[in-house]
Amino acid sequence: MTTPAINIEHLRKAYRTGTVAVQDLSMQVQPGDFFGFLGPNGAGKSTTIHCITGIATVTSGKIEIFGIDAVKDYREARRLIGLSPQEFNVDTFATVTQIIDWMGGYFGMNAAQRKSRVDMLIQRFDLTTHAKKSFRELSGGLKRRVILARALVHDPKLLILDEPTAGVDVELRLDLWRYLQELNAEGKTILLTSHYLEEIERLCKTIAVIAGGKIVRQGPKEEFFTMPGGLEKTYLEATGHKADHVAAGAA
Amino acid sequence: MSDVTVAGSRRMGINWIGLGTIIRREWSRVWRVPIQAFLAPWISALMFIFIFGYVVGGNIRLIAGHRYVEFVLPGVLMLNVVNAAFLQSTSQIYFQRFLRYIEETLVAPLSYVEMIIGSLTMTIVRSVVTALGILLIGYAFGATQMYNIFEFLFWIVSVSIIFGLLGIIIALWANNFEQLTMLNVFFIAPLSFVGGVFNTVSMLPPFMRWIAYANPFFYFINGLRHSMIGFNEAPEGLGVAVTFGLIAVLGVATWRLFSIGYGLRE
Repeated sequence: MTTPAINIEHLRKAYRTGTVAVQDLSMQVQPGDFFGFLGPNGAGKSTTIHCITGIATVTSGKIEIFGIDAVKDYREARRLIGLSPQEFNVDTFATVTQIIDWMGGYFGMNAAQRKSRVDMLIQRFDLTTHAKKSFRELSGGLKRRVILARALVHDPKLLILDEPTAGVDVELRLDLWRYLQELNAEGKTILLTSHYLEEIERLCKTIAVIAGGKIVRQGPKEEFFTMPGGLEKTYLEATGHKADHVAAGAA
Repeated sequence: MSDVTVAGSRRMGINWIGLGTIIRREWSRVWRVPIQAFLAPWISALMFIFIFGYVVGGNIRLIAGHRYVEFVLPGVLMLNVVNAAFLQSTSQIYFQRFLRYIEETLVAPLSYVEMIIGSLTMTIVRSVVTALGILLIGYAFGATQMYNIFEFLFWIVSVSIIFGLLGIIIALWANNFEQLTMLNVFFIAPLSFVGGVFNTVSMLPPFMRWIAYANPFFYFINGLRHSMIGFNEAPEGLGVAVTFGLIAVLGVATWRLFSIGYGLRE
């Protein structure tokens, strides 16, 4: 039996304020999968990602990354993960090169490895003319590219992308889609959250829907499309909305 | 796939490159504000030494056989080392929290101890650079004594660690810039001024001398003064014991806060 890339069992996350963001969430992501993680705002997507990556503490439950306990053996688990967060979390005065290079350094890459990898990523994300600029000087789309390059610097086995194309223009979005598909074809496991159903539809092989801190539906992409109304209707129903009402309201 | 899957490799259980990267990043951040980081304490020390040591001190008789400028220099130096260590430590942790780039280190294979040591190393570097600059200023005013260079370095480094750890704790607790400066305004500045920067304990009225002995700043200043001019007012070994005690208590407290994610993790 293959060890899952992500194995979450009965995850619960309650904040100090008492808010329970995730309750009894269990799911598995298989190695090599392109996994779409869908849910409305506040459903618990980002909190789940923060628990996986160590940004948030886990209240109870188990998280394993390729069989490694992400809490007890967190250093080993984190070596395998690259994260592109929803919000920009960088030293905004640092340059593009510094931001990517430092991340490689935190992951223990030596100077030669970092140089080669940073150069490649700067070229791949078309950041060459911006390499010496500080993050705060960049446009929204360029910032998003830097965050993605930073997530990839240590060549992680598992890539977690929290709304990576939010606020990005169409050209860049299409380019990113192509690149993510290439990475997935090379064997990288990708977990993607997005509010664009088209993005999930085009890229993902497996889809999970989260609502109220719980997984309410999960399965191969085809299952969602064979249902009447397709992904949109299935998603709206799974998250407690009536598709007809939404459509009527929009009209 | 590329050949970087060894990322996160460690020797003796330590991610040395990760540790070095924290220091490199902080060095880069400090060099964005060299006036604030280095020039400001040097100018402040220059003014203290000129006014109190040179102008006022020129009219004061010798203290324990030393000119006043030589007596006051260790105190001025310690004031600035304490400030440099505290400011470096609070600013680096607080800005990481404020701009959320603390998350870069939280998602990386870095241990809490590596994160703390990385912060403290840069704190020590900044304090030592500040101290050497002030030492040169003192030298220019004729305060050229150095009784024991190793003891001098011991006091600079150990006091930097104490205020570096204290700064980390405050930066984890603070939720705004106002809270960040509270300890400095209400605790560090008053205690350091009454810790014997400008006077000996014997100059104080007898009923006030216990206050000096209860003030940890007295031991830091007295220790540094002993290393520079050989003048000592504290019981033998007590200052060193107080210093190691504070490092142990603050070190354990800081490690505990990191391990539960206080102020760091959601």
